[in-house]
Amino acid sequence: MQEYKRIDIQKDQIVPIAEKMRKAGIYLVMIHAFRNKDGQMDVSWDYAVDPAIESYHVVGEEVLPSIGEIYDVAATWPERELNELFGITFEGLDVSQRLFLPEEMLDPQGKGQIMVMPMSELLERNGRGESK
Amino acid sequence: MSYIVPIGPYHPALEEPIHAKLYTEGEVIKDAEVFVGYNHRGIEKLATERNAIQTLVLVERVCGICSHSHALTYAMAVEAINGVEVPKRGEYIRVITAELERLHSHLLWLGIACHIIGHDSLFMHIWDERELVMDLLEKLSGNRVNYAMVTIGGSRRDVNDDLRREILEGCVKMKTILDRIAVIATTDKTVALRTKGVGVLPREDALRLGAVGPHARASGVDIDVRRDAPYCSYGDFDFDIPVVPDGDVFARVLVRVLECYESIKILQQALENLPEGPINLGNKLPKIKEGQAVARHEAPRGQLSHMVVGNGGLTNHRVSVHVPSFKNTPTIPFMLRGNTVADAGLIIASIDPCFSCLDR
Repeated sequence: MQEYKRIDIQKDQIVPIAEKMRKAGIYLVMIHAFRNKDGQMDVSWDYAVDPAIESYHVVGEEVLPSIGEIYDVAATWPERELNELFGITFEGLDVSQRLFLPEEMLDPQGKGQIMVMPMSELLERNGRGESK
Repeated sequence: MSYIVPIGPYHPALEEPIHAKLYTEGEVIKDAEVFVGYNHRGIEKLATERNAIQTLVLVERVCGICSHSHALTYAMAVEAINGVEVPKRGEYIRVITAELERLHSHLLWLGIACHIIGHDSLFMHIWDERELVMDLLEKLSGNRVNYAMVTIGGSRRDVNDDLRREILEGCVKMKTILDRIAVIATTDKTVALRTKGVGVLPREDALRLGAVGPHARASGVDIDVRRDAPYCSYGDFDFDIPVVPDGDVFARVLVRVLECYESIKILQQALENLPEGPINLGNKLPKIKEGQAVARHEAPRGQLSHMVVGNGGLTNHRVSVHVPSFKNTPTIPFMLRGNTVADAGLIIASIDPCFSCLDR
């Protein structure tokens, strides 16, 4: 079984950790996010410190620094995805173009609706309430 | 003269949607951008309304080529949250399916690459020979795609002695076929002229941009989850990780051909040493305990990761699927720069992209 280490950090540690990892030649596996049971955003930066994954978590913050300067597109694509799906703001990230979601879902009110809105409401909003 | 040449989103190289914008000076590409997201199906959202067994069926449909990889990786994440130990025989059967999947995926890509460079006789020859692997997968699972071989806690179907012998014989045949394909693919002038020095991604760029899988290994980056973070008994098998330093399309051909040989080696070891015992822990619908895990698998195109969050109930709280094409697609503009428009389709296809996986 692959090892998964959860490490809770503060927002100001995100960039120094990314710099340290990049310097050591460690891969950024992915940046993940979900709303925990208290409704807080739990964002994690997963690094492949083989054979384990070191997962650095920031909880309760929705404006975070981008690590695009350090990991280039390996970081900016996951950041853009989380911006679209959850509405998380990554400071300094260019979000002028869509990545996955249709343009009509990227208005300020619609942002983040896919992962946040209940499925029934999402179907209703798209005129497919009966098809569930 | 400067032109912006749009390619796609329909069928620039493969039959999947990606849009590339090439900024050209004459025939030379000076810069490029890629746009994805034409096929977003909201699978991660759907997974939050399904139980673990239903999610296995769902994630298998993320991709038609590496469907087993998705089911396997999701199952490993749930097993990690629940602290479940998979029986050894179940793990070996997972490996057998995964390596057959890698073989068919690499041969499929190799055929398409030959088609794009205009070597259609080799394309047809490779796809014809690939049918041997597809037949073995069908005998193993009952299906040519979406094998449904994985369940939470093991594998769904056993490998009996007849089938074991048949796959072993298939491995011997496949090796002979590969010898023939490898000679043509690596020595034919047409292949060499269209692929050598084309779409180069230097090692430093591959590392910085986070390229994975055969795409990274063709740029000299020595990574492979099967060796670096072993799972499913991969630690039991003796195999090499082919790494080629050149970083061009030819290197990507070479790495994938060599990886086919390694898959055969793993298959032979897994089949010859198939442990006795149960293949799974039963068919009870599992609850997903409260917790979070990330599982990684070396899919045919590279590192695949599934992050699962459970809340103690039957359904997933969150499933996050990140595929190798998510890491490799952003490297395309860097490879296109300095090449000609005529090679753009081949360069895009050289990462073995899967936009069905990427958009999920």
